[in-house]
Amino acid sequence: MKLAIQIIKNTWEEYMMYRLSFVLWRVRSVMQLVVTYFLWWAIFSQHTELFGYTQSMMLTYILLGAIVRPLVMGTRTQEVGGMINDGSLSNYLIRPMNIFRFFFSRDIGDKTLNILFAVVEIALLLFFLRPPIFLQANGLILFFTAVSLLIGMMIFFYFSLLLSFLGFWSPDVWAPRFLSFVLAEFFTGILFPLDILPAPLFLLSKLLPFSYFIYFPLKVYLGQLQMSSILIGIFVGFLWIGGMKFLASLFWKKGLRVYAAEGR
Amino acid sequence: MTTVLKYFRLWVKLTMNSFLSVLSSRLSAGLFLLGKSLRFIFFGIFLWALFAKVTHIAEYSFLQALFFYLTFNFIDTVTQLFFREVYRFRQLVVSGDFDLVLVKPTNPLFRALAGGADPLDVLMLIPYIGALVYVFLQLKGVTMWGVSSYVLLVTNGLVIATGFHILVLALAIMTTEVDHAIMIYRDLTSMGRVPVDIYQEPLRGIITFVIPIGIMMTFPAKALFGLLTPGMVALAVIVGVGFLVVCLRLWRFALTQYASASS
Repeated sequence: MKLAIQIIKNTWEEYMMYRLSFVLWRVRSVMQLVVTYFLWWAIFSQHTELFGYTQSMMLTYILLGAIVRPLVMGTRTQEVGGMINDGSLSNYLIRPMNIFRFFFSRDIGDKTLNILFAVVEIALLLFFLRPPIFLQANGLILFFTAVSLLIGMMIFFYFSLLLSFLGFWSPDVWAPRFLSFVLAEFFTGILFPLDILPAPLFLLSKLLPFSYFIYFPLKVYLGQLQMSSILIGIFVGFLWIGGMKFLASLFWKKGLRVYAAEGR
Repeated sequence: MTTVLKYFRLWVKLTMNSFLSVLSSRLSAGLFLLGKSLRFIFFGIFLWALFAKVTHIAEYSFLQALFFYLTFNFIDTVTQLFFREVYRFRQLVVSGDFDLVLVKPTNPLFRALAGGADPLDVLMLIPYIGALVYVFLQLKGVTMWGVSSYVLLVTNGLVIATGFHILVLALAIMTTEVDHAIMIYRDLTSMGRVPVDIYQEPLRGIITFVIPIGIMMTFPAKALFGLLTPGMVALAVIVGVGFLVVCLRLWRFALTQYASASS
């Protein structure tokens, strides 16, 4: 635990070395949010209810999405591909620690710092824009929201590691990640709730793990899912974690066999 | 004329090198192309899904919203096509390798700005232009004035985009701490994926006249729909040219601040 805390602290210090860069990164996040927020605000200025959402539910979905995103998808694992390619992974292999826990601790450092900023940003937006917000008061629903967020975090962690582990076999680690960004932007539901999509696309989105990153936790929070759907969703989420973890471990083991520490 | 020809030949040479570099990894190029295509299609699907339930957003119909989006994609892709080198510029500065550009008998801005086109963007332009022409033909009530001012304002949008890229280059020299200024530009311009009329004041005013995203991305389509007066078209051109001049001056100032770090 002490080691994990130290790794988290180190991750924060790394960010604080390049403060302006980090602040500008947050500015980027706010800009992305503002586009989506105002688009939905403009749409709901002419409608009281649309796609089964009231204005307050939709704006809550979009604003909370900006907090859920860094919580679930905040990561440093994208660096692993580069570490494999330039051989610097060797520096970590010789240390007496579990490498998966090391990467996860770095992710926690990334998530905590980004969430801290995201909460302040959302508070400022709430203050200036004063949108109608839906607050969930049901304790059980809030508990299941927390569980679904944890599921999203774990699936994303292993998914992102998997993409980076491709570096064991190819120097082109950025292209698959770019493709995953594009797929995630659409199928996570960050721009819109997935259930506004045409039925075949919505069905496809449910077959992919991306919906666990944003859409599923927020749907649970909004109380728009029946208890049976929540429980089934959580069960399938655990299956995704198991599957992704298995694949990540397999890629890691097989990858280490071909790892040649090139560049060192 | 000789100078223009010289720079054109140089650009062709640099572009051929860039093409060879990108196509050296076909799988990677294929994945990028797939990603760019999907991003375009996905946002189109989103707009389509939206307009299945609503008839207008901020007074614009589905075809008009689609035209805004396609104009955004056209300007964005043409810009990326010519100015891809800007994405690699910061590395030149922090490593000190920009020295090697400065000692060559060419304009350093040309090399930093247009040092190699991206073949993937050439491929992406084909469907974008096709879709733009198709949607244009579906629009009703378009006048010759509308078309002329659209062409003029798209050109003006490209001038503003050039200004933004020069600004990013200048920032990279002046502050080595900023490592994703170009991505901030991308996020800023992405606010123009939808007409800027949807944003509340004062944000709308800021992204129209202070950071001229609205003039760059929204004004061309608005002019085509006959929603801009000749005075606004003229003002847009003045803002565009003025913005470029300011950015060029900033670039010249930035060059005096270059410290040749790490070289």
